[in-house]
Parts: sequence; C-alpha cells; structure tokens
Amino acid sequence: MSMKKKLLTCFIVCSSAGAFFASSAMAAANSRHFLTTHAPSFQVNADRSIKGTVKDDAGATLPGVSVTVKGTTRGTQTDVNGRFTLTANQGDVLVFSYIGYNTKEVTVGTDAVMAVTLTSNASQLDVIVVTALGVKRSQKSLTYAQQQIKGSEINDVKTDNLMNALNGKVAGLDVQPSASGVGGSVKVLLRGARSFAGNNQPLYVIDGVPMANPVNINGQNPIGTATAAGNTTGQPNDNFGGQPDGGDGISNLNPDDIESITVLEGASAAALYGSQAANGVIVINTKKGKAGKAEINFSSSFLASNAVAEPQFQNQYGRTSPTTQTSWGSAISGGENNLKDYFQTGNNFTNSLDISLGNESAQTYFSYANTTASGIEPNNKLERNNFNIHESAKLLNNKLTIDGSVNYIDQKVTNSPALGLYLNPLVGLYLFPRGLNILPYKNQYNIPDASGLTHQNWISNSDDSQQQNPWWTTYMDPNTLQRNRVIMNGSAKYEFTNWFNVQVRGSLDRTSDNYQMDEYAGTISTYNSNGLGHLSYNNQTTEQKYADAIANFNAPKWGDFKLDGLIGASITDMLLNGTGTNGDLAVTPNFFSTTNIIAAKAVPTPYFEHTQLQSIFESANLSYKDFVYLALTNRSDWNSTLAYTESDHYNYPSVGLSFILSQMFQMPKAISYAKVRASYANVGNGVPPYLTLIQNTQNTTTGALTFNNAQALATLKPESTHSFEIGTDWKFIDNSINFSFTYYNTHTYNQYFTLTPPAATLITQGYVNAGNIQNTGIEFTLGADVVKGSALTWNTSFIGSMNRNKVIEVDPADNLNLAVLTGTSGNSFGYESVLAKGGSYGDIYGFTTVRNAQGQIVLTGTGPNNYAPQKSSSLSYVGNANPKFQLGWNNSFSRGNFTLSFLVDGKFGGQVLSLTQAMMDSYGVSKASGDARANGGVSINAVNQAGAAVTSIPASNWYQAIGGRNAFTDQYIYSATVVRLRQADLGYTWAIANSAVKSVKLSLIGRNLIYFYKKAPFDPEIATSTGNGLSGVDLFNMPATRNVGLSLNVRF
Amino acid sequence: MKKNFKSILQVPSKKHSLILGTVIALALTGCTKNFEKYNTNPNALTSAQSNIIAPTAFGPMEQAIYSNYQRAQNLSADCYSGYMQSGIDFGTQNNVTYVMNDGWNSTGFNDEYNLVMAPIHALATTTTVKTKNPEMWGVALLIQVEAMSRVTDRFGPIPYSKVATSLVTAPYDDQQSVYQQFFKQIDTAVTNINAYIATNPTKSSLGASDYIYGGNYTEWLKFANSLRLRLAMRIVKADAATAQQQAEKAMADPGGLLTVPTDDAAIAQTGGRENDLHQICGDWQNTNLNASLQTYLVGYNDPRLAIYATPATANAGYNLAGQYVGLRLGLTESANGNYKLYAALNTTTTFAFATPQLIMTAAEVWFLKAEAALRGWAGAGTAQTDYEQGITTSMSQWGANIGNYLSDATSTEAAYTDPANSANNSPAVSTITIKWDPTATQEQQLERIITQKWLAIFPDGQEAWSDWRRTGYPQLFTTANNLSGGVVNSQTGARRLPYPSSEHTTNTAAYNNAITLLGGADNAGTRLWWDVNKANF
Repeated sequence: MSMKKKLLTCFIVCSSAGAFFASSAMAAANSRHFLTTHAPSFQVNADRSIKGTVKDDAGATLPGVSVTVKGTTRGTQTDVNGRFTLTANQGDVLVFSYIGYNTKEVTVGTDAVMAVTLTSNASQLDVIVVTALGVKRSQKSLTYAQQQIKGSEINDVKTDNLMNALNGKVAGLDVQPSASGVGGSVKVLLRGARSFAGNNQPLYVIDGVPMANPVNINGQNPIGTATAAGNTTGQPNDNFGGQPDGGDGISNLNPDDIESITVLEGASAAALYGSQAANGVIVINTKKGKAGKAEINFSSSFLASNAVAEPQFQNQYGRTSPTTQTSWGSAISGGENNLKDYFQTGNNFTNSLDISLGNESAQTYFSYANTTASGIEPNNKLERNNFNIHESAKLLNNKLTIDGSVNYIDQKVTNSPALGLYLNPLVGLYLFPRGLNILPYKNQYNIPDASGLTHQNWISNSDDSQQQNPWWTTYMDPNTLQRNRVIMNGSAKYEFTNWFNVQVRGSLDRTSDNYQMDEYAGTISTYNSNGLGHLSYNNQTTEQKYADAIANFNAPKWGDFKLDGLIGASITDMLLNGTGTNGDLAVTPNFFSTTNIIAAKAVPTPYFEHTQLQSIFESANLSYKDFVYLALTNRSDWNSTLAYTESDHYNYPSVGLSFILSQMFQMPKAISYAKVRASYANVGNGVPPYLTLIQNTQNTTTGALTFNNAQALATLKPESTHSFEIGTDWKFIDNSINFSFTYYNTHTYNQYFTLTPPAATLITQGYVNAGNIQNTGIEFTLGADVVKGSALTWNTSFIGSMNRNKVIEVDPADNLNLAVLTGTSGNSFGYESVLAKGGSYGDIYGFTTVRNAQGQIVLTGTGPNNYAPQKSSSLSYVGNANPKFQLGWNNSFSRGNFTLSFLVDGKFGGQVLSLTQAMMDSYGVSKASGDARANGGVSINAVNQAGAAVTSIPASNWYQAIGGRNAFTDQYIYSATVVRLRQADLGYTWAIANSAVKSVKLSLIGRNLIYFYKKAPFDPEIATSTGNGLSGVDLFNMPATRNVGLSLNVRF
Repeated sequence: MKKNFKSILQVPSKKHSLILGTVIALALTGCTKNFEKYNTNPNALTSAQSNIIAPTAFGPMEQAIYSNYQRAQNLSADCYSGYMQSGIDFGTQNNVTYVMNDGWNSTGFNDEYNLVMAPIHALATTTTVKTKNPEMWGVALLIQVEAMSRVTDRFGPIPYSKVATSLVTAPYDDQQSVYQQFFKQIDTAVTNINAYIATNPTKSSLGASDYIYGGNYTEWLKFANSLRLRLAMRIVKADAATAQQQAEKAMADPGGLLTVPTDDAAIAQTGGRENDLHQICGDWQNTNLNASLQTYLVGYNDPRLAIYATPATANAGYNLAGQYVGLRLGLTESANGNYKLYAALNTTTTFAFATPQLIMTAAEVWFLKAEAALRGWAGAGTAQTDYEQGITTSMSQWGANIGNYLSDATSTEAAYTDPANSANNSPAVSTITIKWDPTATQEQQLERIITQKWLAIFPDGQEAWSDWRRTGYPQLFTTANNLSGGVVNSQTGARRLPYPSSEHTTNTAAYNNAITLLGGADNAGTRLWWDVNKANF
C-alpha cells in the first residue's frame, strides 16, 4: 500500500468517525431545539406523517422549499429531489415558501401524500441554476458571474455546430468558427486565451460529468510526441496546411436534447472541476423524462446557405500570356464570374423527434435526430444520426434515485475542405486567369490517358501556388471522416436523511474515428510524387472514463445560519490510441489500400496517450439570513502527466462572498434587487503527457534510432491560473430592468511552454514552466422588458464584454521574451503568431515595408520599369486579431401568436490578415490590382535610391512585390471590426385544443444576414485553425455563409 | 514519491471540523503508483534498447547533411555557384535578387545542429559508442566535420567548441578556430579508424547502417584525408602555412585519397528518401539550369551537357523546345512567366528518385591536387597530370565519352541569349579554354583548374560557391536583378548568408559577439575569414 493510500484510508476512516460523532451531536442539538421551545404542540399534534413533493410550474422538483405548519414554528424543507416529510394533523395548513415563487398554503387532507406545485413569482424571480458538478443552486447565492441559456435559444435557429448559436449571447464568450464547411469545429474562448501550448478552450460538462472533446488528428501530425504539442486540433499549424478540420466533439451533440446551457466564465465558478476548468466551463443540461402525460415533440428545420463576403475580382485585364497563370495581360471586355460555377447553395436539413413519458417512480426520455447537410463547396456533406435514451427511476421508498443515459452518434463528413494552401480547391478557383471561362475545366476536370487512367485538365501543371483544377481537388482528392461515438452515463443517489445524500456516478465516452484521403494519379506531384496516387489513412479511438462519488449535505437551519456543501472524489482516465499512415502508392495506380503504399512508408505510425487525473474536492456554502453567502471550495489533483517530477500533486482553493443588498438595507421602491459579489480562485493544470521522461524513438520507416534531443529546461510543474472577479447584479422597477456587471483579472503563471533554444545548445525543444499572461476585462448585461402586457411584449438586452490580454513576461529565466505559436518553417507568407513580452496573446508578426524616417517607402530600382518596394528582413509586430470589445443586442417580440426575435452583434477592434488577397494581388486577379492598372498605377508616398520622391508605381511592380507567397504582411492587415445581423427568427404558433396535436409552430429563420460594418476582404470572425495559432488569418478560407430557412415544431 | 497530503486538509480550520464532521468521504481515488507507467511512452525506447541499435543512428545523420536541401542550399549556394536558378520567382525579393530570406537560410544553420551535431552529441553522452566503438565515433566526427564545414562556409563564425554547454545559449567560435578544430577531429578520426582496420581487417562494425560507404572503413580513411585536403585548400588565402601543412599531411597519409569514382562519397536514399534535385526540379519544377553552366557546357561542347541537363520542353512562343537555354541568376517573374519551361536538370536518369547524393568525389580531389601542385606543395604531383586526371575521372564518373575534350584548345564559354527578354543577354565572361597550357600564367592555370573543377563537381553548389568566393573562378554572369539596396555588390556577389534571426532573438549575447568575430555587418556582403580580398598568388 502506497503512502498515499494509507493516508487516504486514514482520512476516510477519521472523517467517517468524525461524521458520526458530529451528526449525532447535531441531531441532538436539533431535537433539543424543538423539544425546548415547542414541546407542547409537538407532543399534542404529532400523530400523522405527511409526505409530499414540491415542483415548479414547469414540473421540475424544487429542493430547499421551506415547509411550515401555519401558526406554529414547526417545519422542514424539501430535499434535493423536492421531497419532504413532516408530522401534522388533518386540517393543519402547510405553508410552502421558496425564493422566487409565490407562497402557497395547502390544508392537510386525508391523503398522506401531497403533490404541491409552486408558481414562480416574477417580482421575486430567482433562478435555480446548475453549477459545477451538477449542483443546483439559487442564483442569488452565487459569488461569481455565470449565464444560463435556454435550450430554445440554441434550437430556434439551428447551426452546424451548436456552439455557434451562443455567439453574441453570452458575456465574455468569443466563438470563432473554422473555415471548414459542414461538420467543422469551433474555437471557443471564455475571457480570452491564456495558455501558450495547452488548450485554451473551455471544458464541456454534460449533466455534471466532464465530456471528452475529441478531435481527429487526420494522421497528418500524430501526437504523442512533443512536436505536435499545442496542435491538438488536427488542424494546420502553418499556412501550408493541407489537412481538413477533423471536427470537434461538441458538434456531435443533438441540440434538441439540450434543456439548458450554463456558462461558467471564470475560474471561481469552475474551480470544483479543477485542472480542466482553467478556461471556464460550459455546462450542458440535457432533457429528462417527466412524470405525467406522454409528450412528443417533433421538429424539422431547413436552412439554405450561400457564400458571402467573397473576394473581389477585376474584370478589366486578361491573362499575361497564353502559357502563364497570371493576369497581368492586356485589356479585356468583361470578366467571368467563375465563383458561381463552383460554389453551390448549401443546405442543412435537421429532423428530430423526442418523447418523454413516465410516472412518479420512473421516467423515460427518448430522442432521435437526423442531420443532413451540404456545404457551399460541392461534394462537402455531413450526415449525422443521434440516438439518446435517458431513464430515471426511484426505488427503496424513494430513497434511491437511479439515472442512466446512452447516447449514440454516427457521423460521416465527406470532403471537409482542406485548410491552408495545400489541396485547397479555392486556390485554383481564385487564381484562374481573368477573362477566361472556367466552365470547360468544370465540365471536364479529368482527361483519359492511353493507359486507362485519367490526368488532370488544368491551365497549370505546376505552379508556386500548388494550384489544381478545383473540381479535381474536389472529386479526385476526396476525404471522408467517419465517427462513431457512444456516451454512457449512470448515477445512483441514496438519501440517508433529508439533508444528507451520497451520489455515485460513472461515465464512458468513446469515440472511434476513421479518416481516409485518396489522392488519385494525376494529382500534382507535390502531393503525389510517385505519380500513382497517394493515400492518407488514420484510425483513432479516444476513450474517457470518469467516475466520482460525492456526499452532499444540506444542514438544517441553525438560527440565522445555513450550511450546505459536499465532499467528493473523482477519477478521469483518458486513453487515445491510433495509427496513421500516409504514403505514395507503389504499384497499382489508384488502388487505395495500405498494401499498396511504397514499402518504406507503409508502416503505420502508432500513437498512444494515457493520462489519469485523480481528485478529491470539498465545497461549503454558508449563508446568513439569506443575504450573505460565503462559498469555499478546495480541490486536490494528482496528475499522471507529472509523474517523474518532484510532485504530481497540486491543490487549489477558491473563496467567494456575496451580499444581497436589497435584503440587507431598505432600498428605494424602484430597486427590486441588488447584489454585490466577489470571488477569488486558483486553478492548476498539468502538462502534456510523456514530457517528464525523455525517451528515444525508432524511426517508423527505417527502424533507425532517433535521439530525443528535447529536454525539460527546468523541472516541470503544474500551470496555475489565479483569478479574481468582482461584480454586481441589479433589478429595477418590479424586475423589468436587470443589470449585471463583472470585472475580472486573471494571471496564468508557470505555463507549460515548448520553446526552441538556440540550435547550438543541441536541445531541439525545451520544456519550461514560465510566463505570466494577464487577462483583464469587464462583462455586462442590461436587459429590459420594454413592453409588458398580453397584447404585445418586447424584451431587449445588451450583452457586452471587453477583454485585455497582456503578456507580462514570457520566460525571463531563460532570457526569452518572445515565443512563437505557429510553426516557423520558412517564414513563408511572412506570418507568425507570437507571444511577446508586453504584447498580447496571438500577436501577428510579419514582414513590413521598408520606410525612411519620414515614413516614405524606400524603393529599389532605377526607374518606373523596375521600381520595387523593399521588405524588412525580419518579422515584427503588425497586428493582433483579438477583438477589443464585443456587444450583442438581442430583441424578442411577441404579439398574439407571432414571435419575432433578432440578434445584432459586433466585435470591435483587432486586426486580421488576408493572404488570399496577397496571392490574388500578385496574380493580378484582384479588384485592387485591376483598379490600380486602370488608374495608371498605385499612388504611393515613396523615394527612390537617389532620394527623389516617387508618387506612383506601376501596378504590376507593386503587387508582384508586396503580394504572393512572400507577401509584405503589413500591406495585408485589415480591421477586424465587424457588425452583423447575426440571427433573426419570425414565428407563428397555432395552439390546437382537443386534438392529438397540442401546438404547431412555424418559423422563418436566418443567420448571418447582413454585415452592417466590415472592412476586411473576408469575414474576420472565421479562423483558419481553431488551434492556438492562425487566428485572424485568411488563406483561401472558405467564404462565410448566409443561411435562411424554415423551422417547424409540433408538440403532441 | 513525495506526496503532500497536508494540503488536502488545509481547508480553513473553522470549516474543517464541520466538513469532516458532517459528511462521509467516499474516495474513489486509488493509487498513483501507476502514474510513471502511464507517463512512459510505450512507443519509445528504453536506454538499453537505444544502445543496442545505436549504429542505425548513422544513416539519418548522414542524410541530414542535405536536410531541407532546397532552402538550405538550393535557393542560395546552388544559384550563386552558377549551377541553377529558379524559373519561378518566389516573390521576386529573395536570395537570388540578394534580398536574403531568413526562413530559407536559417534551415542551413539550425538543421545541421539539430540533426547532425545533436545526435552525435547524444551518441557520445547517452550511448557507449564513443568509448566502446572508437571507429564508429571516428566516422561520426567525419560526418560532423563534413556537415559543419558547410555551415561555417555559409555563415562564418559558428558555435562549435562550446555547443551543449548551456541550456539557453551557445557561444560562437571564430572561423579560424573552427577550422583548427576540424583538423583535430579529422586527426582523431584517422587514428581511431586506423586502429580498427589494423585489428579488424575484415570486419565492419557499422555495416549497412552507414549509408555512405556501407561500413567500409578503408573508404572512410580516404574520405578523411580528402576532406582534410579540401578544408586546407579553403583557407589558403587566410592562413597559408596551416593550409600547406594540412594539405601535405593529407596527401602523405598512407590511407590515401579518393582517386577513382568508386571512391566517391555519396549518401544513399535508404529509407525511401527522395533525391533532393529530383524533388525540387522534377516534382516541383522549382529550379532550372543556370545560364552560366549552360554557356560553359555548350561552349565547350561538353559531353556532360545532356547528362546534367534536359533541354526546354516547350516553345513558349520563342522556338525554345529542344534547346539548352538556362536562366540568369536573379530573374524576377515579372519579365515573363515562362522561365520554368527553360532547360532543367536531368531528373530522368542523372537525378532520379533514388539517386544517391554526392558529398565528395575523386574528381574533386584530383583538382585539389592540381591546385596544390600549382602552389608547389609536396606530394601533389604535377598540375597537368592532376588536372587531366580530374577531367577524365569526372567523365568516367558521369559515364560521358571524353573524346578529344582534353586537347580542345579553342572552345570557350558561349554567349547567353534569353529569348524572352534581351535585357538578360550577355557576351561570354570568360575566355579560358580546356587544354592544359604549361606556358599560361599561374592565374590562368588556376582559372582553368577551378573552371574544370566546377564543371566536374556539379551539383555540389556549396563547394562550388566556396571556390568561387575564394578564387573568383569560374567567371560567372552577375545577377540580373540586385534588389539588395546596395548591401551586396553586383560584381562581387553574395559572400555569405546572414545568421538566422532566431540567433539574434534567442542567443542574443552570443550573436552580438559573433558579429565582432565576423568583423563586419551581418549581411550577405561581408566576407568570411578565409575569403580574403586579395590576389590568388
């Protein structure tokens, strides 16, 4: 038995013994309390035991409802399942009171069992929210900011990835979809990015249990070694890209199964989840069966999508010469819109059915959803089936609650567009010479060979841009990603007393991915050097097992004090196992089998990761008179990734305090509610696996010894995020106006970095803990019921947030003030995402235009024929893609059976980089390059080598110098500010009486409808990668889409 | 394993008793004893296993001499040497127009440390090779000297004696000191290999793990002597005494020199590696024949022309097909988009997918001896014999029919005509002929030797660029476009590559000292220590 186990055993035994002693003492104290003060009535009347359940008007059970016998001080409160037991006489009046609900009086009749429904009291509204570990709490007791989103807000207007539906609706949340068509992943940031090499995305929790968010890594960059650290998205780490987005885990869920989503923005809210929660938590609460009459919901939605914010082309000048790929030729009359021949109208057709039924002791929820979608790029398809069954039952005199669910997801994504330059059909499409019609190349993208094979029909067979016939890339280099996923959850809760219960949960989340990409013979030699075709293949299983045991207590009131809390332990075991291979075909052309790969490359590369996290956590909440709340949490983690270091253990506490001012002091009548809150938390995090023991490897193809010259530069330690937040919540004029404000400040220290020491240290990669990244910001919501009434209602709300990210230091111990997030290979395109002391996370570094002290561009060359601007020799800061300020404006109206809602949101500040524009400029196909030619050149403020002023330069000199694959980065930086009509929804509901069908709702829905303001030549929100680098970079990204459709919802 | 359990209990003391007293902790938490197992990569080797397969580390190290070949060498040295030029412009402002591309050039620095020196250091520190297999260690040193001499000849002072002494910085040595260390390491290699051959005349401890000589230590000994001769000749203008002493030592060593093509040192493409020129020129069409190489080969009616190159494949509107028309250094595509259709390298037979890549040939050694003879050094033989033997050996190496090449006293470099842009046309820049002329001046004889050496050692652009910087030969066309803004002189061309910008940012103090050691600005116009701006004799 290890020392730890001994200690743990001791801990359990001691605490159990302590619990016994203390609980009997407490019980004694309580009975004394009753006996001494209320002995007469107790003894006289206590001859019947009354049981019952209290629910809200939506059918959810209410815990913590105060139940008293009117006229006495006898009473109790409901347990976590809304149940109570009380002794009372027939004819006694029971008073049920609960914050946020109208007090109800019920006379005890002949039944010994009571079912009580409380109606919510709008004037005292206090929402019950789901917090960490699935614990439900009254919102007013919370000491931190959080925001709850109803399922309908996600489902009214469906999106490919349900996280896109949260964009603009949650303060402090930034959602960036990837440019990868249907089935693509999203980048979600809560209160900014903070981790250099780790994941910056929040933890997703389903019904209290952390979810794996598996991505397929496409076999391109097998992880398990440090080389891919930080690139856990399966997405490009540099501009060459070539791999499609493997999709993320969150997008697999059926949005119709979601009851609500709670966003825990800060570390304080999330502290109980420990390591995984440093970036905030998104808690997803799924639907359960309800007791009562069976309810059936059917919903169907159709959305059509079209490309918007496409690049602008010139139509005045044609091809340079009959053999070139560029468009610097002579004048033409009228160009061709070749984009319309390629992009199609995408669609998303989602049908879902859910059934809920049950009685008091057992409930069932079943759902099935089918999603069929096509992207705007041809042959890009998504097919998904979701099955979900959720059972709840109560046994043993209602003391034991059993709950279980199984989710099965089957998803196939076809031809997810490659991100970056390589194998991207848009490269050929956009750079196609102006004035030519692309249709012949569409109609015949392949030409039969004498050998019976086909080769590519394209204007270029080798070009610096690595372009291909777009339809060839689409149909002759196809990829498929097949995913099967099972999520199983089970929990059992036993109630020992009405204030103490123990819950045990377990879950398994298993995802199998099969990825294959077939590149046919005829594909350009960059991807197909043997000429017979190329195969990439990857098989991967991700399995997360989670179990926890939690003891909850909710102590009876002790004078004006109330105490509740929990203590628990959990274990999370993560296993990633896969093999991938990637090689040219050896013998038979277009025979896509691993048996046909060039022998030396045929050996599949295995990758394997096993991590385990063990934790013990405690939480306690103390309240005084229901207006002062103190919340304390503590969590200890043992993390396998820190094995071989001095300690694999770390511990972090949180503390929070809130005051309900409106209950503490007499306030003007206009103020219905006022609260101030503050909290502080510290959250730790482990490091990636396999870094603490340096091991050599064997080369996959040759078997050769490959030395591991990586080295931990200091003993690795856990990361640590310190977070402080303070906020206030107000409601005015009978709660018709609400306002909430939060200020936060987080510092992330001891970050795990991989850095590249000078090559001659002979350490290829160094692992360090260093850095101090600060995120400071504010969040606010302001909402108002502008018009209340039965005829017309209008609710409006503003949701805003501002985040300032500052890199206070990088790694002073190693004399390092700058670290690069993206691969630096070749500095091609002059782009790096950089973390530099004094800068911000994700600063864009690039080449700049050489200027003199007066800011004038300094030209080389001797005259207009060869004047050219000069590019800086090294990279420097040119912008940052992080928005400075975000504001969403939500409106919803209802009049009669009509409902209308719309959301306008804006992201303000920040810069983005368009390398698409740089490439298009150098090829002379962009509108800018055509306009400049028509105007006789580009107007510049420049000097030549002799120092003489030059005010104009020929367009071809200018754009071929600043554009292309080695662009002058600073010339392609644009404002990232964008304001749009994000979403609109107009619905009509038919309420049908006396029919099997209860109601029918039909809505006209739309997303991304209007750009009110946008200066960049693409939608700046879309990311080339949802990883840590390449934010705000457009390199032949698929254009954004505008989606319009219909949705139908039928309730039976 | 130290576990801090106190911390679990460090909840505030007031709460402490309450929490412990009112709940039962149900701990699922097991034991962390498996954590070390979990955090050990099952797809990686133990140190004992590493030791067993140590010889297999050699082949990849050898192949790494040409790591990132396109960026490290092809887009700089191969062009500056007059061998090649890209027919696509890579954005016009790049190495060939003397606007130095850090992202390209840095690979020729960093990769040699990461992929050659780092594994050799790991061999010495984490395996038993250095102590138990000194002959293998000798080969490792030769690989290191071969690789790092290419690095110092690109950049100048480099970190060498003080590598791997710090986790965060690596101080530089001046170039003279680097060369002295090279010679000492060759001494060690020769001693170790000789000792092994003496005791194990029929054995090979490296065997097929060696992709250059298949574990033949006798060949490695010849290579060691030849490498010493090459490096000695390099420094002749900077340190004539050492140059002569080392060259004479090399020529006197009983191990001998590379003399016939079967001695040539070439790295096999074992493991599925692709010949770099096949990839760059064949797959990517990213490089073409340079106008200088074209005009010499054509002017000399050189039988190696069709072996080295293939003619233009399309007319591109200029009646170009079938003609050997190369490209001037420093083209910008703005003039024309057809340059990649011009004459290219012969990737069908000469530079096929799996053709081994040469690092030193017997022909080169004959020309080194010819120059040594010209300088009157002991053991070099006569210049004419060596010169003619160099040409003959080269013709034999490439399978060319020498005919009466050696007696051609009239052919000279041809003029250059660019069908697409007459601005690139140029008359021949050299009048040197092929046939040895004992009456010619020493300078003319040197030009003749180096010009023929240049034709013979193709495609080793790195060595050819070094010879050109050292001697000024062969005479090459200047760049068509110099966009350096005066940093590089068009007549004298690029003399070195700037250090990687990462050295400036992550190795700052050492970098600043390196600039002092360099004795000039960190740009392509500064001459290296051995590149002394003075007459050859």
